[in-house]
Amino acid sequence: MTNEMQFKTIVAQYCEVKPEDMKNDMRFREDLGFSSLDFMSFLGELEDTFDVELEEEDVLKVLTIEEALEMMEKLQQEA
Amino acid sequence: MRDYYPLTAAQKMHHNWIQDYKTQQVSGVSVVASLKAALDFGLLKKCIQLEFARYGCMRVRFTKPDEKGQVKQYIVEKETRDIPLKDLSGMSMGEADNLMQQWAYETFDGDDIPLCDVTMVKLPEGFNGFFIHMDHRLIDSCGLVVMINDLMQLYTHYRFGSEFPKDLADFEMVLEKDLKKANNEKRLAKDKKFWDDQLDALGEPLYSDIQGLSVLEEARERHGNKNLRAADIELKDLFVEVKDYYLEPEPTKNLIAFCMNHQLSMTNLLLLGIRTYLSKVNDGQEDITIQNFISRRSTHDEWTSGGSRTIMFPCRTVIPADMEFMAAAYEIQNVQNRIYMHSNYDPALIMDEIRKRYHTPEHTAYESCYLTYQPLPVKMDNPHLEQIPQHSKWFANGAATKKMYLTVSHTEYGGMNFSYHYQTAHLQEHDMELLYYYMMRILFKGIAEPDMTIGEIMAQV
Repeated sequence: MTNEMQFKTIVAQYCEVKPEDMKNDMRFREDLGFSSLDFMSFLGELEDTFDVELEEEDVLKVLTIEEALEMMEKLQQEA
Repeated sequence: MRDYYPLTAAQKMHHNWIQDYKTQQVSGVSVVASLKAALDFGLLKKCIQLEFARYGCMRVRFTKPDEKGQVKQYIVEKETRDIPLKDLSGMSMGEADNLMQQWAYETFDGDDIPLCDVTMVKLPEGFNGFFIHMDHRLIDSCGLVVMINDLMQLYTHYRFGSEFPKDLADFEMVLEKDLKKANNEKRLAKDKKFWDDQLDALGEPLYSDIQGLSVLEEARERHGNKNLRAADIELKDLFVEVKDYYLEPEPTKNLIAFCMNHQLSMTNLLLLGIRTYLSKVNDGQEDITIQNFISRRSTHDEWTSGGSRTIMFPCRTVIPADMEFMAAAYEIQNVQNRIYMHSNYDPALIMDEIRKRYHTPEHTAYESCYLTYQPLPVKMDNPHLEQIPQHSKWFANGAATKKMYLTVSHTEYGGMNFSYHYQTAHLQEHDMELLYYYMMRILFKGIAEPDMTIGEIMAQV
C-alpha cells in the first residue's frame, strides 16, 4: 500500500467516504465531516502510524487532504 | 483463558469517584427508551439477550481489588440472566418515572458481579420499551444511544424483516488499542509536556465559584491559608437536583449559525458563556478553569464499541476584560484543540502534578462547573419507527460528585436543553436560574456584537 493510500485508509476510519473515493482537494471539516476532536485524534493516529512528530502550529493550518499529505511527506523526508 | 485488563483513564475517573465518595451510586447511569406501540416482549427479550452478545461492554466485570487496591476488568463470554418484565401501565407517567428514578438510585455492590441490568417495561399511555441501568465504568451516554439504536434495529429486523444491523466494533479489541495508546511512552511524554507547559506558563490555577468569591474565602479561612487557590468539595451530602431550561428553536438557530459562520464549535461557545459568567461573579477574575467532558469517539470503531470513553479535562483560559468576544471564543477554541490532541492522557496525572507542585490540599478543586455538550439526541433512528411516538428519559443517579454539572443537548424539535445538575448542599434552584439567565444574556450579546469586549459584555448584561 502506498503512503497516500495508507493515509486515506486512516482518514476513512473517521468519515463515511471510502479511500478510493477521496479527492485530494477535499476539506477535512466541510467535505469529510470531521469535528475538531476527530481531526486532533486523527493527527495522533498519523503520528503513531508514520512515526512522525507533528508541530501543533503547523497542523492547525491544515485544511485539505492534499495539505496534510504534503505536511506528512515533508516530515518523513526530514526524519 | 480469560484476559484481564487494567482500567482505562476514563474508567479510572469513575472508579476513583466511587472510592472517594464511598458509594457506587455516583457511577450509575440509567435511561428508559420506549415506543407508543404494542411490543412483542418475547421477541424483545431475545433481542436484548442478543445485544448482550453483540455489545461486549455490557458483559464487563471487575475483580476484587488486589493488595495495592488495583482492580482489573474482564469480559464474561455469556450473559445468561433472565430479562424481567415490569408492568407499570396502571400508573400515571409521572408515577412510572418516579419508580424508575428509584431504580436509578440502586447500586451495584460487590466484585465480579454483572454491572448492567435491563428491564422490559410496560409504561402508561400505551408506551412499551426497556429500562437500562449500568455502571458508568462500562458505558457512557453516547454508548447507550448506540446500544438502544442497535437493539431496536435487531427488533425491527426480526419483527418486520428490515436489514440486520451492521456489526458493532469488538469492545475488547478497541480496549486493547486504547490501553496500548495510553502506554505509548513517546506520546505520554508529549502529553505530559503539554500539561506541564501550561502550569509553567500560568502557574497554579485559581478557583472560581458560581456563587462568587465568598466560597474561596471560606475555604481559605477553613484551611488557615490566605493564599489558597482551591476550594473544598462536598464529600458527604451528595444529593442532587436537576433543573432543565429549554432554549427555543429560533434562538438556537442563531447560536448554531454563529458557530458555523465563525468555524466555532458549540462546546467552545458554551465554555465562553460559562467562563464569562464566572468571571462576572468573581470580581472580573481572568484565570478561569472549567472541567469539560470529551467523548473520545471519533473513528467508526470508537463509535460502535460501547465502553466508557467520555473523560473530562480542565479547560483553563486567561481572558482579560479588554479582549473582544470573538477573540475570546477563538482563544478557547485554540486551547480546546490542543487539549483534544492530548486527550489520550489520564487527567488524574494532571492533578497529581498540580498537587506535587502546589501542595493542593486533599478533597479540594479548582473548578465549580462541569460541562458536557451532547450533539446526539436519545432517539431511535430507525425508519420503521419514524411515525411512532417515542418516550426516552435519562435518570440522574441521585448522587453528584460535582458541584454543578451542565449537560447541553439538542431536542428533536430544533431547540436546546440545558440540564443543570447541582448539589443541594450548597446550591439552590435560584443559583441555576441566575447562571442560565446570565449565560444566555452573555452569549446572545456576544453573538450580536462579537467585537464588543468581554468587560463591556459583563458590565451590560
